Amino acid sequence: MSTKLNRRDFLRLAGIASGSLVLAVYLDGCIPGSNTPTEIVVVPTIPEGSPTPTPPFDWTPDLYLKLDRNGVLTVTAFRSEMGQGIRTALAMLVAEELDVEWSAVRIEQAQADRQYGNQLTGGSVSISNYYGKMRQAGATARQMLINAAAGIWDVEAGLCKTEKGFVIHPDGQQKISYGALVEAASSEEKPQKVDVKDGSKFKIIGTGVGHWDAPLIVNGKAVFGLDVRLPGMLFAAVARCPVFGGKLDSFDDGDAKAVPGVKQIVTIQRGVAVVAENSWAAIRGRNALKVVWNEGSNAALSSEEIIESILKSLPNPGPLDANIIEAVYQIPYEAHATMEPMNCTAYVHDGMCEVWAPTQSPQDVQTAVMMALTGISQDKVIVNVPLIGGGFGRRLQTDYAQEAAQVSQAINAPVQVLWTREDDIQHDFYHPMSIQYFHESLDNIRIPSARMYGGQAVPTGAWRSVDQFTRAYGEQFFIDEMAAALKRDPLDLRLELYQDRERALGVIKLAAEKANWGQPLPSSAGRGMAYFATFGVTHVAQVAEVSVGQDGKIRVDRVVCAVDCGQAVNPDNVAAQMEGGIVFGLTATLKAEATLKDGRIQQSNFHDYPILRMDEMPEIEVYIVQSDSQPSGIGEMGVPPIAPAVTNAVFAATGKRIRHIPIKPQDLLA
Amino acid sequence: MGAYDLHINEQTYSVEADAEMPLLWVLRDLLGLTGTKFSCGMGLCGSCTVLVDDEPTRSCVTPVSAAIGKAITTIEGISQDGSHPVQIAWLEGHVSQCGYCQPGQIMNAVALLKKIPDPSITDIDQAMGDVLCRCGTYQRIRDAIHTAAGAGA
Repeated sequence: MSTKLNRRDFLRLAGIASGSLVLAVYLDGCIPGSNTPTEIVVVPTIPEGSPTPTPPFDWTPDLYLKLDRNGVLTVTAFRSEMGQGIRTALAMLVAEELDVEWSAVRIEQAQADRQYGNQLTGGSVSISNYYGKMRQAGATARQMLINAAAGIWDVEAGLCKTEKGFVIHPDGQQKISYGALVEAASSEEKPQKVDVKDGSKFKIIGTGVGHWDAPLIVNGKAVFGLDVRLPGMLFAAVARCPVFGGKLDSFDDGDAKAVPGVKQIVTIQRGVAVVAENSWAAIRGRNALKVVWNEGSNAALSSEEIIESILKSLPNPGPLDANIIEAVYQIPYEAHATMEPMNCTAYVHDGMCEVWAPTQSPQDVQTAVMMALTGISQDKVIVNVPLIGGGFGRRLQTDYAQEAAQVSQAINAPVQVLWTREDDIQHDFYHPMSIQYFHESLDNIRIPSARMYGGQAVPTGAWRSVDQFTRAYGEQFFIDEMAAALKRDPLDLRLELYQDRERALGVIKLAAEKANWGQPLPSSAGRGMAYFATFGVTHVAQVAEVSVGQDGKIRVDRVVCAVDCGQAVNPDNVAAQMEGGIVFGLTATLKAEATLKDGRIQQSNFHDYPILRMDEMPEIEVYIVQSDSQPSGIGEMGVPPIAPAVTNAVFAATGKRIRHIPIKPQDLLA
Repeated sequence: MGAYDLHINEQTYSVEADAEMPLLWVLRDLLGLTGTKFSCGMGLCGSCTVLVDDEPTRSCVTPVSAAIGKAITTIEGISQDGSHPVQIAWLEGHVSQCGYCQPGQIMNAVALLKKIPDPSITDIDQAMGDVLCRCGTYQRIRDAIHTAAGAGA
């Protein structure tokens, strides 16, 4: 599908034609008057079966929503969707307060635009930050619709009600649809503040609406970054220095040029880009390059060496008192390994750059692309955000977008830069490796804290739950060691340690009860527990049940998870995020690590960076604490407790303390 | 380069491609059928799965020449309107998170149910074990396969 008019022009024309109010908001763009090309392939995101909106969009009462003459509500999602369900949740908040049926909702994705504040999607804060604002936006529009209807009927607005996209007359009989009211509502004065619903009246919040994008996903029609197609676009793969910090020395592209379909080879900041008619030719051409790298000062670096030097630097406590315990825990580098490898599509033309970036931070992409190009100002960088095939923090970075922009500028054509899986695993911003050192007295028991040591020279970044993963691992592992030293039950000790924290106790007790804590298991099996409040806001307790085979193989049979995230906006999605967080953490706990040798990451694909599989999947039960407190985040919070819960369960099953992850069968055979 | 007629989703497409070009890239880059996903490029993850004569096939490691004369089915072809029992079960079970691997998951599930209409958990583990999901939707996939089996997929 292509369109002759871009949507910005369309909106402007629509506003003039219908004489209705467009509140000085250019919804899809940030640059009034900029010359967006008109032949761009429109990315459709309308699930089958949802009502087709009738343009023009008549009424834009707020930055976040539009209502058309069919009563179709379009919510503008200004945070990035990567599976955590934010598009759906934001729309649920507006739809709830506006009082429309869920089937009348559409979602559009915002471009990078500072009107939306900082659009960075990370830290699991979108819902906690916008719970009030989105509801207020919906409630305000609803009040304006009521005021419009009351004016038509000449009745008191306070006596009118709303239901399922209609304003209801005080007589309870007459009603006018929102669609019929949008024009009148658009000239109503915008109330400064309106009341939002009491939680007991919720019809959408707290129900399971699923993901709004799901119908397109199961049809194969959802548009991810790699699915963006522009007329005349080319494809490119980039050769990058395998050693972090290295630089291009020289290259021979004779063989690459001989690959059928290869069109052009250009040098960019990151390395050498092979541009071709299709992705396969680009990858083959890139693989045929003979590149000489100046590997720089990291060329001899290895994980082993980094670990050794940290271990040497740990404090030497001297002879230990019987009441002092200590422990050292190790976490390796971890890759994000999103199923959709990094990619970006860019088109530099007419003094501007348009990108289609599967990114968690469109405004950072805007800045980064401006900096990567010559002669293009930041306001001439337009960032579109397609669906994202997994983020987990990797897509907070902007490197993939800079590459695409530079290639497009060099070849003067639209281009998609795609990363292979090998590129993705070997050029990540890794979860930092760390060594934690605990040293605590058992005389005054308290929640323990560690001294933390990390490696350098490898690019690191946010990885689902960031440092909380590391902190939870050490703290909740050490509590288990303290319990053993004190000959106390790990649950019992936690109940004492968290005695003043009501929400902590709530989830710990709930998880323990549902997991039958204390009930016997077969001798090769064990239960372990962990609790953590990720970023201090969402309380999660997990009990893992593992069994260990004769061959040392660990099977996680069951995980019970209790979560208190305040009001659950989309409860089934809360459960899904806990399930997903647990699986993500299990990969790091039992399977995958990124290791450095000769300055480069040794792993390259799923054979040596193995992620959890269906046949290794535990039964997961999620229990959500009923709450009407302000909602807190859920995207990352399932991850941190699982590594210590499993580690503690392995101890319960085998009596062995394995003080590193991933725990491999050979660790238990030693 | 050769000219090939491919039978995809009950239509015939003529393409010009190198015989060795993986079917994945023929679908995605030459024919615009982007529902089939690229992820590992080595046949390790299953995101690129299509059916070739009803067999689940990793299109990223299948040369286009190997698919000539066979019936290729992609995610776009299992139903016109999302009405395949597996698709419906996926929606009812709220399976998808990011959704990127789900076309491959669905194609493997469709193939499994054609062979074993009422699969056990072991059957599912065997058929789906090599189909990776980083979001961790496995439990819901398993449940959705059971739902679809009950619906006579």
